[in-house]
Amino acid sequence: MDPGKFLLFATGGLADAAYLFIVAAGLSLVFGALRVINMAHGSLYMVAALVSVIVANQLGASIGFLPALLAAVLVAASIGAVIEVTVLKRVYGHEHLVQLLATYAIALIIGGAARLIFGPNYRTTAAPVQGSLSILGYSYSLYAFVTIVAAILIGAAMYGLLFRTRLGRNIRAAVSDPELLNASGVNVTLLYTTVFVIGAGLAGLGGVIVAPSQAVDPTIGDSVLVLAFAISVIGGLGSIIGSAVGALMVGEVISFGLINPTTNSFALAFVFIVMTVVLTVRPWGLFGRPEA
Amino acid sequence: MSGIGTSLRWAAACGTAVLLLVACGGSSNPGGTTFKGTKNIGLSIALTGQSALYGHAISQSMKLAADDINASGGINGYKINADILDDGTQVANAVNNYKSLILQDNVVAMLGTVTSAQCQAASPIAKQNKVIMIAATCNSYQLTTEPDLINPYYISVVPNTFMEGTAAGQLAAKTGAKKIFIVSPKYLFGISETNAFVAELKKVAPSANIINDPKTWYVPFPTNPRWDSTINAIQAAKPDLVYSNIFAADEINFITQALQVDPNFFQKYPMTTLASVDELQSLGSKYPLGMHLYQRAPFFALGNPSMNAFVTRYHNRYSEYPSDWAVMDYDAMMLYAKAASAAGTFDADKVRAQIVGHSFDSLRGYKFTIRAGDQQANVGETVGDTVDSGGKYPFPILGNSTNLQGDDLLMPAAIMQQLQAGQCEKTPGSANTTDFSLCPAWKNS
Repeated sequence: MDPGKFLLFATGGLADAAYLFIVAAGLSLVFGALRVINMAHGSLYMVAALVSVIVANQLGASIGFLPALLAAVLVAASIGAVIEVTVLKRVYGHEHLVQLLATYAIALIIGGAARLIFGPNYRTTAAPVQGSLSILGYSYSLYAFVTIVAAILIGAAMYGLLFRTRLGRNIRAAVSDPELLNASGVNVTLLYTTVFVIGAGLAGLGGVIVAPSQAVDPTIGDSVLVLAFAISVIGGLGSIIGSAVGALMVGEVISFGLINPTTNSFALAFVFIVMTVVLTVRPWGLFGRPEA
Repeated sequence: MSGIGTSLRWAAACGTAVLLLVACGGSSNPGGTTFKGTKNIGLSIALTGQSALYGHAISQSMKLAADDINASGGINGYKINADILDDGTQVANAVNNYKSLILQDNVVAMLGTVTSAQCQAASPIAKQNKVIMIAATCNSYQLTTEPDLINPYYISVVPNTFMEGTAAGQLAAKTGAKKIFIVSPKYLFGISETNAFVAELKKVAPSANIINDPKTWYVPFPTNPRWDSTINAIQAAKPDLVYSNIFAADEINFITQALQVDPNFFQKYPMTTLASVDELQSLGSKYPLGMHLYQRAPFFALGNPSMNAFVTRYHNRYSEYPSDWAVMDYDAMMLYAKAASAAGTFDADKVRAQIVGHSFDSLRGYKFTIRAGDQQANVGETVGDTVDSGGKYPFPILGNSTNLQGDDLLMPAAIMQQLQAGQCEKTPGSANTTDFSLCPAWKNS
């Protein structure tokens, strides 16, 4: 393979990894702190993508992207807050099956509501950054690089939040020892709500970032949820660095899996082969910790 | 006491009135027709998943058609109910839905699914249970010609992949392109239509070359949403023309991402592609102008009094413009209504006798006939280049469009018969390797 083509596929994988990381980080954070597998995570991604397209198209893509981003993340975070306060609080501590069913029911409700409110039509919006650049004979969309940079910035912000703030310290404490945290006087109820809202906001952010590159409809959350789970399992549920590494692996595996015409139908299957191998060798994921 | 008595009498009167309304509501239409009962016509369709957009329009159209049929007195004295189940664009779900609709809901007929893979799996169930199945969207020619799929109850009112590939080949030849790049979904429909395109191109433009390796023609279906590799492969190959039959979300994602890489992408690499009103509506003004499209039933290019009235009613009811699928599925429902009424029964064999060899009105502005042998309608294909609609619609339409005649596109009867006889298989005795270009009649043509 010539270097230009290799770089092309590597960058394509990186662009995929960028939005997948943002979505998976939210899912992983919620599981790490709350021990809840949120099946409605993809629905929050979908709602945010739809809201961002509608707002951006109303205001015009060039000036509308930032307001669309704010509105969409706000909507996703608000829905997240409602879900946490009204449903999840009642299932904390229950077995995972109960939590799975509860969040799956929420996903179905949000999906149905989205179809009623927004309709099933595909919606599209223009990218806020237009143009392309040529590297080693291949063209790249500038927006793909914007996506990659945005993911790096969001990853850095997440790191700052978790390791440089009091809130982050409490979240990490909740991940490693929730009982001790409870005993230390921290308002765990509020902390849990905050964590879930941040997770929902990250799902929304992923939806907003991907919207200018894809047809957006009420079903786009389904496939991203599956990939986000795979990334979280590979990287280790609860680990942000694990999410980043997992997203990178998944993005590149899909991108390079598409190169060969005889294997391109199985590009997605390669992801789950990797996941199975990781689960077999290191069930808690590459950067996760085994549960005590 | 008298107050209580008055209330009770009012309650009794109201209750009686409600019961009467409920009783009458199940068996009469607003016009006052009394029905003998209700008969279900089934539809397993993609209301979610990759082809949800198409399923949405189809289900709306079917409900409108059922209402129109009932307003005209139903079929054989029975009210018609559109019995619709979501299959999520999954083959397995379509199979389960067919079993459920046929065995539990006792449908008298089925409309086809969206994808050919689904129709391929569902057709044997309809055949086994002797239920008329009318395909208005799935269209691989193998569905009516492959020996192990032949189903006497399967009717096609959509131009099949042979007809569409032929139309696309003629359209591509008109552009004078010499270097052509192919992009197609890797499943029955894409492979079937691409083969027909290539075969027609060889006939009408023998000097044109397909410049990408056949191994790279097909992309996985449903596709990964990113199209970087295909976009860059096109840029590297620098074709005169890109031929594609990708559709729905895949087509929208491909166009969106190609325009992000290069706003002049489709001026540099003109494209002949399958499209429907749905893709045009979804991308709106972002759908590139100058694209060479072939479409199955675009309402704006097939204007006639029936179509215009349908578009108005559809738009008034759903605040949307009807897609090609909506038009064809409406035709499918009306075909069944006419045939079953003429048969005076819902018996599949007697209804079939009123379909095969008979002609039917179409919203498309012409009558079509169901050919004996493969039960394929001689419906046409519309071709043209996208132009601005001048504010009439919020999406581009076809300029200088041509409605190719179905009779000119139909698979020759000799080839159809040889296909059905198993004479056109790559591996003799293996029906799923059927290819019309292997037929003796094709080779001699």
